[in-house]
This record gives sequence, structure tokens and C-alpha cells, in this order.
Amino acid sequence: MTGSIHPGVLMDFQFPVFFNALNSDLFFVPVLLVIAITLIAQTAGVILGFPMALARISKNPLVHWPVDLYLFIFRGTPLLLQILFISDGTAEFFNNPPLLYPITRNPVVAGTLALALNEAAYMTEIIRSGLQAIDPGQYDAARALGMTPWQLTRKIVIPQTLRVSLPPTVNEYINMSKNTSLLTVIAVTEILATAERQYQANFRVFEILSVAAIWYLLITTILTQLQARIERRFGERQDIAAQPGFATRMLVGFRRPRPHEEPPEDIGGH
Amino acid sequence: MDTDTGAAPAGTNEAPLVHAVDVCKRFHQLEVLKGVNMDVMRGEVVVIMGPSGGGKSTFLRCLNHLEKIDRGTIEVNGHPIGYRRGSGDKLIEESAGVVARQRADIGMVFQRFNLFPHMKVIDNIMLAPMNVRGVSRAAARRRALELLESVGLPQKADEYPSRLSGGQQQRVAIARALAMDPKVMLFDEPTSALDPELVGEVLETMKRLALENHMTMVCVTHEVGFAREVADRAILMDGGVVVEDAPPERFFSQPEHARTRQFLSKIL
Repeated sequence: MTGSIHPGVLMDFQFPVFFNALNSDLFFVPVLLVIAITLIAQTAGVILGFPMALARISKNPLVHWPVDLYLFIFRGTPLLLQILFISDGTAEFFNNPPLLYPITRNPVVAGTLALALNEAAYMTEIIRSGLQAIDPGQYDAARALGMTPWQLTRKIVIPQTLRVSLPPTVNEYINMSKNTSLLTVIAVTEILATAERQYQANFRVFEILSVAAIWYLLITTILTQLQARIERRFGERQDIAAQPGFATRMLVGFRRPRPHEEPPEDIGGH
Repeated sequence: MDTDTGAAPAGTNEAPLVHAVDVCKRFHQLEVLKGVNMDVMRGEVVVIMGPSGGGKSTFLRCLNHLEKIDRGTIEVNGHPIGYRRGSGDKLIEESAGVVARQRADIGMVFQRFNLFPHMKVIDNIMLAPMNVRGVSRAAARRRALELLESVGLPQKADEYPSRLSGGQQQRVAIARALAMDPKVMLFDEPTSALDPELVGEVLETMKRLALENHMTMVCVTHEVGFAREVADRAILMDGGVVVEDAPPERFFSQPEHARTRQFLSKIL
């Protein structure tokens, strides 16, 4: 065709609509809500994961079987199904007693609970691998010094587990921030639901979804920066700590030396 | 106390500091210890040698109840370790808290050092005195610095263990064990994981501990020079029993048992 390109195919990105949506306060509360749900659900998952990980490596079947069953269910079914189950399923199953109103009548609470319970299963595995990464010689040394099991757990096991589990845990925070978008289906007005509502009104799907994507990228970029910082601080292998991400390179270029290029006197000296 | 190092302490009627009688242990089908008897007197340095699988490391780990035993008695400083007698001489294992208190008086140094990697050197040394003995931070720190000085590493207090060489790590591990003021020190192949050029500094530290501090020491090691120079007795363990137990000069030059001669011909 020699005429103009069909407007519906490529060139129909309406920048004014995009910038207006980006500039408006439409997404302000939803972004805060996503951040809040991410922090609360993920932190709850971490807190639940620790005792569950200890139970999972127990030799007593009465202790580790319930946790095994929990992991079987929560890792073996889709998160979306779990969200619907807890939000809508519990109401029907228990005949919606007033006791459950905080969950059944409040999608934010139900959604946060579902995300936390699902995440607890994954955190259990992350913490378990951290526990099992501890050199058996550490237990020998602590016991030989006369430490009680509780002292050993508090002074040796927990700090060393946290060190190993911290980077993958921050990763889980990043995943969680994106998984909050599933709460659209139970009518939580988070970022994606807000976008949907908007493009259903103005029919500018591409522009509005682009704005939503930018907000998610902002949240995950902040978390990724945090992750790099934590890995530099706690990573045992300084030389393989996280490289600067895409956003950092775009924003500040390559000026910052990579960790292994720093002179040795600087390590840990910030 | 005299500083004569050549011979074992004269045969007084003093009770032995470490008293092991008929210690037996099996891992499933495998009988690792088949009735080990061993006495170590106060101030004595005993070196245990023998082929791998002979039970020497296992026996050492039984002395502070890092391994359970199936039969026999182990007493350190007059106290039975890990068990009390039930009816009919049955062994009843003590609770974890009781065992922990017993271990506090028995220092141990491991082949792989086992320093706590998440703590600075000084904190490695201060940890047990503060938590197990309830020593104040200031006193624990003072003592830790003294000990670092005595193992020749005063400038390493604020380093993390990963920044130290193997020999330095092992010397910190010795200081960490000494911080508990143990009655006896157990060394489980303390130089086997070291590069050859780092063995000397660790042996030197052990030697000073024996000759200057008169520490009671039980060392599983194949360092013949150390055994000849420092040990009061050398012991050969093989097949889960003590085969030979003699002063080092006799142990290395005219051992009584063929099994010892055979072993020595391989390592000398």
C-alpha cells in the first residue's frame, strides 16, 4: 500500500492518553496498596517459613508430616485457585459465619492471607536449604564449647541460615509484588484492577496497560536495587555479587566499579 | 610443677584426668570401638596414631560425647561423661543441658577448624565464655586478646575467619577452645587439612601449650616429630582397640607389637 499505515496497527499509541494516565493520581493508592500487601504477605511468609522449615527437617514423622502435606497442597495447586478458595470458598464452606467476615467480606485481607499462606510453603523450602547448608562441623564446634541446643540455634544456626537465605528471600519479595496482580480476580483495587477499570471506560487498553507496567517496573526496580545492596553486604562471595541491573546501567551508566574491582581495603568498609 | 618433659609423670596414686574403660561403639553393623581402655594423667600429652578406620577419631569424639557409646565408661576429672548408671549397669544418657555443662571443661580442636564464619575472630573466642560461663563482655574480650597474643595473632582480632590462612584459622580455633579454661584439650588431626608450609605454626602453638602451660592433651595426629618431642606417651589404635601404648622413644624405635612396626614402616 502506498497510503498511510493503517492507524489501528502500529501508530495508534496515543501519547496524551498515556502521559495523562501516568501523571494522574489514579494509580497512587493502588501502588501503595501493592507495596503494603507485598511487604505484609511476604514478611508473614518468612515468619511462618522458619518454624515450618525446622519442622520439615525433624526426624519425628508427627512433626514433619503436617508440613509435608502443607507443602504438597500449596505448591501443587495454582496460586490463583488458592486465592479464590480462601476468599470465596471459605465463605461458602463454613456458611459464612460472622467470625470469618474479616476474611470473606474484605478481599484485601483474604488476598493477603492467601498470598502469605502460599508464600510460607516456598519460604519453608528456602529456609530449609539454608539450614541444611550449614557445615556439620559448626554443630560439633558449638557443642564442644559447651553450648546448649538453644544457644547453638540462636548464635550459630539462625544467623548462618539467614545469611544463606537472604538473597533468595529478597527475590521472593520481587515475585510477590507481581503476584499481587492476581488479586484482581477477587476485586482488590490494586494496580492491574485499576488499569482494567480505566481502559474499560476509555478503550485505550495499550496505553493504560503501559502505565500499569511502568508502576510495576518501578516497584521491582526499587526491590532489585535493594537486593543488590543486600547481596553486596551479606554475600560471602564478594566477586559474584549481583551485577548492576538494566535500570542502573541506563540511569548511572557503568561508572560504579563492580564489586571485585574494588581495592581490597574497601571491602566491608562502608 | 616441674617442667621435665621427657618421661610420663611419675606413677603417683593420683587419679587419672581422663579415664576410659571398655568403651564400645558400633555404627549399625560396623563395630568401630571394641573395648578401648585409656587413662590420661593430669599434664600428660598423649598422641594417638593408627591407620584410618582404626577408631581413633571416633574415640576422641566419644570423650566429649559428640558420639554416643554403646558400652563402657568415660570419666573426665572424676565425672562420668554423657551417661549415668541405671539399674543393672545400663547406660542412661544425660539431658542435653547436662552434657553441655560437661563439655564446657573439655576443649576440642578439629581437622577442619570449624570457626564460626559469621563472626569476627575475637567474637569466635568470646562467644562461649560469655554465653556458657556468663563471663562479662569486657573480661571475655580481655582474655580473648591475651589468647590471640599467645597464639601469635594479636592483629587478627577484627578479621573474619575467611580472611585467614588455614594455619591462622587453626591457631584461632585453639585460642577459642582455651578461652573456656578446659581441663583437657582434644586435638582431632589438627594439621591434616593444612598446606605443608602451615603445619609448623600450628604444631609450635601446640608444643608451647604442652611445655609452657602443661596442658593435658590427647592428640590424634600423624606428626611423628611432634610425638617424639612433646608426647609423654604414643598410642597405636587399630581395629577398634589400643594395640600399643608406650613412651615415644620406645614406640618409634622398638615397638612391642608387629602391628605397630608395620604401621610405622609406612609412615616413617
